[in-house]
Amino acid sequence: MIPLHYFKIKLKSMSLLKNFTKTLLVVLILILTFQNKTFADGGFPVRPGRLLISPSVSYFFASSRWDSTGVKKPFPNGGKYSSIGATIYGEYGISRRFAAIVSLPFVYNDFTQNNTKSATSSGLADLETGIRYYLANIDFIYYFSLQGTAITPLYSNNASLGYGEEGGELKLAFSGSGHVGDLSSYFNASDGVRQYFGTNGPIQNRYNATYGLSLDEEYENQLSVTVSGINSWSNDKSFNSAIPGTNKDFSFLQASLSYGHSFSHEISLFLSGGEFLLGRNTGVGTTVSLAFVYRLDYR
Amino acid sequence: MIHVSKITLAAICCIFMLGGMSHAFAQEGAMTDTVITHSSDGIFSSTASYTFQVNSTFKNTEVGKVSYIVTTEAGKKMKSDSVKVKIGGHGSGSYDFDIAGLQPGFYKINFMVNVAGENDGYDDTLRKAFGIKPSQITSQYGKPADFESFWHNARLELDKVNPEYKVTEIPDTAKNDKRRVFKVEMKSIDGLLIRGFLTEPINHNKNKKFAVLLGLPGYQVTLGPMVGNDPDVAIFTLNIRGSGYSRDVINVRRETYIVLDLEDKNKYILRGAVMDCVRAVDFICSRPELRHDNIIAAGGSLGGFLAIATSGIDKRINFCSAANPIFSDVRNLIHEVDWPFIDIRKYVNTRPGLTMDKVMDNLDYFDAKNFASDIECPTLVGIGLVDNIAPPNNVYTLYNGIRAPKHIIIFRDLGHEIGKKYSIYEGRWMRDTFALF
Repeated sequence: MIPLHYFKIKLKSMSLLKNFTKTLLVVLILILTFQNKTFADGGFPVRPGRLLISPSVSYFFASSRWDSTGVKKPFPNGGKYSSIGATIYGEYGISRRFAAIVSLPFVYNDFTQNNTKSATSSGLADLETGIRYYLANIDFIYYFSLQGTAITPLYSNNASLGYGEEGGELKLAFSGSGHVGDLSSYFNASDGVRQYFGTNGPIQNRYNATYGLSLDEEYENQLSVTVSGINSWSNDKSFNSAIPGTNKDFSFLQASLSYGHSFSHEISLFLSGGEFLLGRNTGVGTTVSLAFVYRLDYR
Repeated sequence: MIHVSKITLAAICCIFMLGGMSHAFAQEGAMTDTVITHSSDGIFSSTASYTFQVNSTFKNTEVGKVSYIVTTEAGKKMKSDSVKVKIGGHGSGSYDFDIAGLQPGFYKINFMVNVAGENDGYDDTLRKAFGIKPSQITSQYGKPADFESFWHNARLELDKVNPEYKVTEIPDTAKNDKRRVFKVEMKSIDGLLIRGFLTEPINHNKNKKFAVLLGLPGYQVTLGPMVGNDPDVAIFTLNIRGSGYSRDVINVRRETYIVLDLEDKNKYILRGAVMDCVRAVDFICSRPELRHDNIIAAGGSLGGFLAIATSGIDKRINFCSAANPIFSDVRNLIHEVDWPFIDIRKYVNTRPGLTMDKVMDNLDYFDAKNFASDIECPTLVGIGLVDNIAPPNNVYTLYNGIRAPKHIIIFRDLGHEIGKKYSIYEGRWMRDTFALF
């Protein structure tokens, strides 16, 4: 006769097996992070072997200015300033820690007074080449990077395209991702100090804060808002309405809204519009830009 | 056969219903109780701190006591205390308990409320667990001196077996999930045929190579193809010998599997199972489209054990993820869990000449903690504090033995399972480790 306790033990054993084989298969949730689909130039590290190319066009328009005390005034003689820029931006992940950065802009500036063109200029502007270093992370959610950038003017004797001075920038960026309800979110915050090395070469503080939200689980559509600005200091306090971009002592704060759509893991498009909110010694600008992002993996 | 008319049946039902109603009237109101653990993960540096709350909606005052009892995971009583309570009608009570003076380790704690009123009463027990300074937990038992050579020899034996990989694409699944799915067959140690499924993201970039997640099965769990939207990671799910789709030769009852050939460490089922995992890594490394330096071994329960064991033996594993790994610190485990020792004792009793001492000597070669110290890759471990199959004391012994970068996620109120937080952290850490930014 089989003792009763045998059945009790057997039942207990079977029950245990049933419980834990049912609950634990294998841990498998793979995370495709939102940062893969965000726009370039943030604090997130760049994947080794990944080449990101982003051609973009932008339009800047201003018909008024803030003076040196921050008082808003129209440009004299009904002046209107516009600038069309075409930029190729690229990132390449060299290794887990290092990425190479390049930005090549072409600009066309136009200033009219009394409906008459008074000044135009165009050409390649300041080339930016840099190295980004992935500093650290917090729980693989928040990422810090440090970027060193060299500024090289691609023109000479053309003050309308830039300062015509070499410069350098050191930028600290902080990015992270999270959730708002069922939606994924991310942010980028960066602050860079840029020094132009010429006479009266300004020293600038350039800052940017972006918050983005995916509109679907596949990260195909996203919206983001950005607040950015520059504070530039120089002994040269002059203001040139015709080419406000080359003023050296100025500041502005800009807000912009951006919509992004990903056609695939490789291709995204971003459409942005922005408005200058505050400023000193600069144009009251309105901006619109369109950027394509191509991501190509070489490993 | 008894025939009951509809009227009689209705009358019987009414009597039962009325009886129930009168009982409900006597019990009008209810009591609820909750325990607040003053630590989000149940870990304390010295004194464990709890608040026990009782709420009453009874009309009458309830009088009785609230008490706790602390035991080790093996059930040895360590501390207890109680306070007299008097809870007014529609009232509540809150009672703080600080439990000090315990050695590093994990403990079970049961909170009990026993009160009685004029016409009613309430008894309840709430079970919790907590840890004191778990980073100081170690095992008094070392690993066998020839532990590494035992597994090295197993590896050499595996190397002599021609894997004879056979990869067959399963076309239908690929359409549905943007992945190609392959059935994989291969020969492992002892010449046994084992099977798995490889799924790869469909990608037209010829330069693209995929990181690989090696998914390892829980106890007697069948693993089919695993898919998902991740474009960077291939998933290879393995059915170890005698499990799931690899039952050609070994096909035993669930409770028998864990004791199969336990009397001989060179034939024990888990020796072959661990070598099956190593063979799976061999397979991954034979595939040119997979990254051979981005392999994560992941699993839960027995899968967690296999992930730890494989990562300890095979340095080609680059990331280890073990949720609720079983079979850690087995010589202490025997006092703390029912399974698998119920089955092991039964097996010993049916084998003349076999003793538990001999079995424990053999199991030293399959103790998860003994593999842990050989792991060189980043390792994530997950535990549930009220796990009665992979108790936290034992898993922490394993965890503390890992010398590589490591992280543990503790689920205070879970048993033999882990929460979503673990999977999310695993995905993020893996992506960072493999630079899949």
